[in-house]
Order: sequence, then C-alpha cells, then structure tokens
Amino acid sequence: MEYWNPYTETLPQEKLASIEFSYFKNLFSYAKSHSALYRDKLKGMEVGDIKTFDDIKKVPFTYKEELRKWQENVEPFPYGGLLGVDIKDVCTFRQTSGTTGKPVYVPESYESWQWRIESWCHILYMAGFRPRHRVFLPFGYNVYVAFWEAHYAAEKVGCEVIPGGALDTKGRVNKIIELKANAMTGTPTYCLNIAQEAMNMGIDPKSLGIERILGAGEPLPEATRRRIEETYGCHMFDHIGSTETCGYAGMCEAKKGLHIIEPFFLIELLDRETLSKEVAEGKQGVIVITPLGRRSFPVLRFNTMDVAIKGPSNCDCGRTSRKLMEIVGRVDDIRKIRGVLFSPKTIEQLIRSEFPDIVEFEIVVTREDIMDEITLRIEATPKLGKDDIENLTKRLKERAKIKTNLTCKVKVEPQGGLPRYDLKAKRFKDMREVK
Amino acid sequence: MMDEIRKEIRNIEKSAERLKSLAKDNNAIRKNAEIILTYLYILKFITPVWGEEDQ
Repeated sequence: MEYWNPYTETLPQEKLASIEFSYFKNLFSYAKSHSALYRDKLKGMEVGDIKTFDDIKKVPFTYKEELRKWQENVEPFPYGGLLGVDIKDVCTFRQTSGTTGKPVYVPESYESWQWRIESWCHILYMAGFRPRHRVFLPFGYNVYVAFWEAHYAAEKVGCEVIPGGALDTKGRVNKIIELKANAMTGTPTYCLNIAQEAMNMGIDPKSLGIERILGAGEPLPEATRRRIEETYGCHMFDHIGSTETCGYAGMCEAKKGLHIIEPFFLIELLDRETLSKEVAEGKQGVIVITPLGRRSFPVLRFNTMDVAIKGPSNCDCGRTSRKLMEIVGRVDDIRKIRGVLFSPKTIEQLIRSEFPDIVEFEIVVTREDIMDEITLRIEATPKLGKDDIENLTKRLKERAKIKTNLTCKVKVEPQGGLPRYDLKAKRFKDMREVK
Repeated sequence: MMDEIRKEIRNIEKSAERLKSLAKDNNAIRKNAEIILTYLYILKFITPVWGEEDQ
C-alpha cells in the first residue's frame, strides 16, 4: 500500500491523539497572542487550563457568525480580528461563497497556504493521484479556495495540471481530448454534465480516458459516485472541506468513508443535543474542527453545523486515522445545491426587499435525473400586465443568480395558486429526497 | 530513521536562519531562505514526536 506520509498515516490512534493534543495547545497559545478574536474569546483562560484531552471541550466553539462580526469595521481591512500574522505576510486572498450572509475573507500567509496544500496532498494521494496523471480542473477558480487547493496540491504530488476555466462545457470536453487528460476534480453534478455534453457530441465518456476523479463542492451519494464511475469507466473519490477549515477528510481506494487527515486536524464529533460528548462509532455527531497548523487564520473548535456518522479507525488500506462514514447534512436549513451553499433566507430577503409586486412565493428544489433545479414559484399582484410580469420574471432570475450564484427557474402562478400560512410559513421545499 | 530525519531538519533550519541573516540586504536570497523556513515548518509538523509540547 502506498501512502503520502507513511509515518503519520499509520501511527497508532493513541499517538495521533497525543500529537493533536500537543498541537492544539500550541495553537491555543498562538491564537491568544496573535488574533484579536481569540484574545477576546479566551479571556480568563490559559493554556495551563488544558491539562487533559477532555479539557479541550472547555474552549468555546467558534461560529461562522463570529467570524463575520470580527471582520466588520475591525482593522486591518479586510481580515479584521481573524488575522493571525502581520498583514504584510498575507500572500493570498480567499473568501467563502457568501450565500449564507456576508462572505468571510480568509487570509493565507505563504506558510499557511503551503500547510493547506500539504494537507490536500493526502486527499489526492489516497485517491490514487500520481505523477503519471494529467489532471484537468474544469472550473474558473476565482476567489474560491477548493480548486486552487486541488491545483497546487496536484502539482506538489507530481501531477501535471491543466486549468480548465474560461471554457464552456463543450470546450472542456475538447480540451480533455486534445491534451489526453486522464484525471479530474469537479463537482459530481458537473462531472455528469461533462459526460452528457460528450454524449451530445457523439463521444462515449469512457473514450475520454479519465481514470480518476475527485469530487468536490457538493455531497457525493454512493449511487452518484457509482454512476460517475460507470459513465466514465473510472474511479471516483470523495472528500470534504470548507474555506474556513481546509479540506479535512478524503476517501481512499477502499472507498468506505472518509479518512480524517490526522494530525493536521482535530475533529470532534459531538452529540447533537448537548454538543458536549463525543459520539460512538456508527452514531451521528456534529463536526467541530480545529485546523492545527494554520497560523494566518487560526480557528479553534469551529462548529461547522454539519452532521456526520462516525466511522471506525481501521481500514483495509492500513491507514489508522479516524473516519467519517457519511456526511448526513447540516444542522440548520442551509442546503448545498449544485455545489453551492444555498440559504432560502437569501431569496426571501431578496423578494421582500426588492420585489414588492410579488405577494407570495415558494422555493422548490428538485432533482431532475441527477441535476438539482431550483424553481421560484411566485404570485404577483393582479395589477401587473403581461409585459410587467415578463420584466418581473427576468429581473428576479437575474437578481437571484447574483444573490445565490445559482440559476433559478421562475414560474408564475395564478392568483391564489400558492398556499398561505397563518403560523410558520413553509416556503422552502427540498424535494430531492422525496420518492 | 525518524530521529535522523528530525536531526537533519534541525540542521537545515540552522543553515536557513544563518542564510537569512547573512542576506538581510539581499531581497532575493532572504526571501528564498524564508521559503526554506516555511517548508521546514511543514517538515516539523509532519514528523511529530508524541508527548512533546513543542513542534
């Protein structure tokens, strides 16, 4: 069996835990002395208070809303109180998608960026990416982190990278053929889109020669993973991460759950009710993450609000890291649609603030074959004429696209066509799992 | 073997620090020495000793 780092990837679990405990204390001290957020948050608490592994739970959670708050009107712009290094040492700007509110701006120093890339090398290597692979990245990277990580980590692993931004899907199919790319990373939905486009062009996706794909950006149900494997005749792998936390777990050749990248990350899986106890194997827990070596943006105990099923520490591949067997979903109402975090509240705020002529609405998410679709069902005031309705529909589509980064269909319903609510409205319907 | 690797990392670290200090008036050499130190930070991170407080 081949490992990226045979030393850390096969250490016994108790040794990994000991290392992570030590790294956690280092980061605690560092964050308290270098980050305004943690100087404030950890007031009255010293590293000496963390004597045992269980004492880590005394450290309060960090929430996304706090990160936003500590960037609003706090110097230095734009990172505010989250910055853990001198601003002169920041070499790369990244940001979260902002679909759940104001984006969080993430500073990476050269050191932290390289630390992040090193962590990602584990994800690629365990997914079988090797120097023989020519990796196609079918995405315009922009200010979002995932494909930048994939790009630099693939380079470091020794692959040859082809940036595939600024092309349409047909152009990407042609580029894969032209350059004989044999590996890829992409959202599962878009991987299937590429396959569909190839078929529209009269090309069997199997003939593209893609051997390996690493999924990114959206959940990868087992059925979709297998379908992509069958469509391309390749191996498909999954991973999980976020802008705030980095990519923290990946799938190995055994394809049974996701290995936590230890000792880069301390991952706690806590019971949903009390958020105080580690759940047992096979049980669902909320994922709480500490990236243990990133100093430009130190984060302690970030509560992701994501729920996962805890897996075993043993695996056919021989790695000893703990595993997440399945990502169940989010604690709140946020959904991932086509790889983008989507909050129904964003649409409600948009309609309520900019579209007074829409009297009622409903957001319906469906899955057509494997593609997620958002339909905004709206009812307009009766005074609007045909031209007004057309303009309204066009403008809503445009504004929704800007606000959510997603294309939404708009369907105009007749008067009284949508339900009215006296108590809590149920205007968001995610029908993707409804049979 | 890991002990030997860690020892070599410490040796390189000393050399890189000395290089950085010798080249304080030369941006190119100083920056490249700093980049070596960045990778040494990662090398120390991925060759940990359990039970130790410091990396």
